[in-house]
Amino acid sequence: MIPLSHFMMISAALFCIGLFAVLSKKNAILILIGIEFMLNAAILNFVAFSKHDKLASGGQVFAVFAIVLAAATVAVTLAIVLNVYKYYKTIDPTKIDQLRD
Amino acid sequence: MTVEQILFYVMSAIALLSALLVVSQKNFVRSIFLFFLTLFSMAGLFVFALADFVAITQLVIYVGGVLVLMIFAFLLSNRELLNNPDSSKQQSSFLHYLPGILVSMLFFGVLLFVFSDLHPESFQWIAQSELNTLKPQDNTIHYLGINIMTRYLLPFEVVSVLLLMALIGAAHIARKERDR
Amino acid sequence: MDTLTQGNLSLLAVIAAILPLFTFLWIVLVPGKEGRGASFAIFNISLSLLISAFLFIKVWNTETIHEQIPWFSIGSTVFKAGILLNNLSVLMLLLVSAISLLVHIYSTRYMQGDPYLHRYWAYLGLFCFSMLGLVITDNLLLLYMFWELVGFSSYLLIGFWFTKDTATQASKKAFIMNRLGDLGFLTGIMILFSQFGTLDIHALFAQGGLVFESIIEGGLWKSSGNVMPEYWLTIAGLAFFFGATAKSAQFPLHTWLPDAMEGPTSVSSLIHAATMVAAGVFLLARIYPVFDATVLTVIASVGAFTAFMAATIALTQNDIKRILAFSTVSQLGFMMIAMGVGAYAPGIFHLVTHAFFKCLLFLAAGAVIHEMAHLKEKTAVDFDHQDIQNMGGLRKSMPLTFFTMLIASLALSGIPFTSGFLSKDAILIQSFEWAHDKSGLAKLIPYAALFTSLLTAFYISRLIFKVFFGEFKLSSLLKAEFKVHEAPAAMKYVLLVLAVFCLFFAFSSNPFNYESSWIVKGLVITSDSPLSGIATASSHISHVLIPVVINILSLFVIVLAYAWYVRSKQAPDFSKNFLFRFSQKQWYFNEVYQKGPVNSITNASRFTYIFDKAIIDGFVNSLGKVGILLSSIIHWIDRYIVDGLVNGIASMAKTIGNFARHFQTGRLQHYMITMVLVVLTFFIIKIFFQAI
Repeated sequence: MIPLSHFMMISAALFCIGLFAVLSKKNAILILIGIEFMLNAAILNFVAFSKHDKLASGGQVFAVFAIVLAAATVAVTLAIVLNVYKYYKTIDPTKIDQLRD
Repeated sequence: MTVEQILFYVMSAIALLSALLVVSQKNFVRSIFLFFLTLFSMAGLFVFALADFVAITQLVIYVGGVLVLMIFAFLLSNRELLNNPDSSKQQSSFLHYLPGILVSMLFFGVLLFVFSDLHPESFQWIAQSELNTLKPQDNTIHYLGINIMTRYLLPFEVVSVLLLMALIGAAHIARKERDR
Repeated sequence: MDTLTQGNLSLLAVIAAILPLFTFLWIVLVPGKEGRGASFAIFNISLSLLISAFLFIKVWNTETIHEQIPWFSIGSTVFKAGILLNNLSVLMLLLVSAISLLVHIYSTRYMQGDPYLHRYWAYLGLFCFSMLGLVITDNLLLLYMFWELVGFSSYLLIGFWFTKDTATQASKKAFIMNRLGDLGFLTGIMILFSQFGTLDIHALFAQGGLVFESIIEGGLWKSSGNVMPEYWLTIAGLAFFFGATAKSAQFPLHTWLPDAMEGPTSVSSLIHAATMVAAGVFLLARIYPVFDATVLTVIASVGAFTAFMAATIALTQNDIKRILAFSTVSQLGFMMIAMGVGAYAPGIFHLVTHAFFKCLLFLAAGAVIHEMAHLKEKTAVDFDHQDIQNMGGLRKSMPLTFFTMLIASLALSGIPFTSGFLSKDAILIQSFEWAHDKSGLAKLIPYAALFTSLLTAFYISRLIFKVFFGEFKLSSLLKAEFKVHEAPAAMKYVLLVLAVFCLFFAFSSNPFNYESSWIVKGLVITSDSPLSGIATASSHISHVLIPVVINILSLFVIVLAYAWYVRSKQAPDFSKNFLFRFSQKQWYFNEVYQKGPVNSITNASRFTYIFDKAIIDGFVNSLGKVGILLSSIIHWIDRYIVDGLVNGIASMAKTIGNFARHFQTGRLQHYMITMVLVVLTFFIIKIFFQAI
């Protein structure tokens, strides 16, 4: 048996790696990848705690839902990225700063 | 240390290392394929959590859908970056990463501190759930199917509608506007 | 008096007075082309004349009409304004409106072509209004106001040709002189008011009025309401007389009248010969009962002196209008003598006759000047068109003017069958009778008057002979083809009408007895004032003797003048004589006034000016400088401390804003970092507090 706290440690590490990607990367697609990491970290926790909920299996169901939503997010986000590229000829979020004074 | 445990730690090590490589890699194409590796090992970890259906779903949707979508998007948007990965901004990129690294490390520290104080096995609903705990020989798909069609029917329908809306929206945003 | 009540008649009098004011208001307020207003002015003044004539018929020798309404009240004293129509005022009303109408008609031709003609009509209307109002009002205060208005309109008309420097100077001189007199008038009004508490002429001076009731007892002047020392009565009389001397150009305030000849001749005729200058005499007549014996003697003496002085000056003047002006002063002196010797009725009689013949003299002179000015204009030769030395022989070219002027001159000289004979002899006879029971210097007054009348005959003969007889003096200077013509029709007929009124039958059926004149009959005071102490004149041998003597002497003088100025080519030259120069220089009055009061006042003004400039202005200016200094200090404080505070707050806000602006980089990831940091901080704080 693998203790729940180990799952949590791994998911925490993965979450922080994703956070780093979101905060630092200069590429919109890599930021999206960072978000996927964070989602996966969350799903891992769902799944791990779902082991003690056999009859309702809430964790697993919501893990499935989360994966589906992530897929939808990715589809929409990538469409937005393509449009941004079309207007700005770049997908570097640091360069898309027209709201700045 | 059983074989099961060894496999778990190996898989988790692969997942974390590949994830680190994804974010630290300069070459974008490599990053994407390392991301693929991370997702695979994550699916393996799901299996160790006795969630084989979720692991399958992960493989199908992420590896089969999301990853391909990303590659396509990348190819459509970032051709010049693909052609000549610039290495000239090495120095400045470290400074650029520094706040992100610091904040992430801090976050990780906080999480570790919280988890170290937390003992999940002593939670009341976990400690009193011997009958409700999955066994490796249980058929999780059985329970999952029953629950989705009964207990979680409304969220299921909402999610499906949401998915439909997202797909239509994505298609609408990404389409070429000919009339312009 | 059946259908018309007293109130209606008073209203008519007010209308008669106000009509000329309409002329003034219409011309002043309604814009239009220049030179307008002649017909409107004539229409108004003739309406006034009609009303005046009607009132005259209604009121003359019937009862006195007195109507009044409350005007204003001070404390418990109610001032009333009203109309007082008695023989004196209706006579003046008729006289003023009649002469005004004639002068209006005369002016249509005389003033023709003047660019400011509309103003002329406006001023004339204002004058007529004030003069008529002065005549009919029943209140001394109102009388004073009209008195001022008369002076003011006279000022406007003297300075009518305001581009001429001499005209503006003359108008100012007239105004200031009149102001001096007004001071006396006002003083008199104040004394009377404090004694009697009212200014109502009827209540004060009518038969049995307040003045008659007051008595002098033990050196005190007692009236029903008040008691004051006796000398105040004398002072009041003198003050009123001083007011009258200014208006009527008596010594010592006579110098403005000759200068007033700078105005148009028609104005001189109306204002400075016939009507306004008579206002002084009229005032004396209105308030006659208030004069005591002392004042009357002073009036007679001043009148005699002025008459004599002005006549001597008139002997040597060369300006035709100036001769007539001094003649006016002299004749006004005669009226004053009449007033002073108690010959109230002859005085007013002389006022009326003088108004006509002097008006005629001026208008005829105006006709001559008019023609001379035309001649000057046509020939473009520069000469003084008012100087009688430039005239001569005009008898042939201007026969009607000559004829009418001759009649007026005879009236002025007091030759029988003229109106002047009646009135002047009345004055002389009355003054001889008055002097009969006086002693000392008072005896001089009738003799001075007698001598003056001889001088009058001489100077007016000189004028006539020099202007109308002999050769035209300028014919050598001018080309022969220029001729002087008769005056235009409008002027001619006015002269004719006036000439009719210079003859005896307009005033009396008997050409030799002034007592048969209707004016004298209408004005004789039936009961005498207790204050004046004058007895009613009695018939005397002088009635026959004096006129005969005077006329014989006058004829002799006229013959002398004829011999000097017509017969011999060269009149005797007196110009080296001191007396001649004394007369020519008008007894040096102007010079003395200039050296004395005028210069001292000018110097005093200059001193006060310097005082004002240096000390008061200096004080005010230094106050100002202190103010400026204080202000600049406050300015500095304001600029650097108050503003600094405000600006400092503003710039602090700006700095903070600028500083905070840097956080708004517009970069998504910076915002996210901040967000995560905030969440982390929250967590850390929570953990930290749990640990504690």
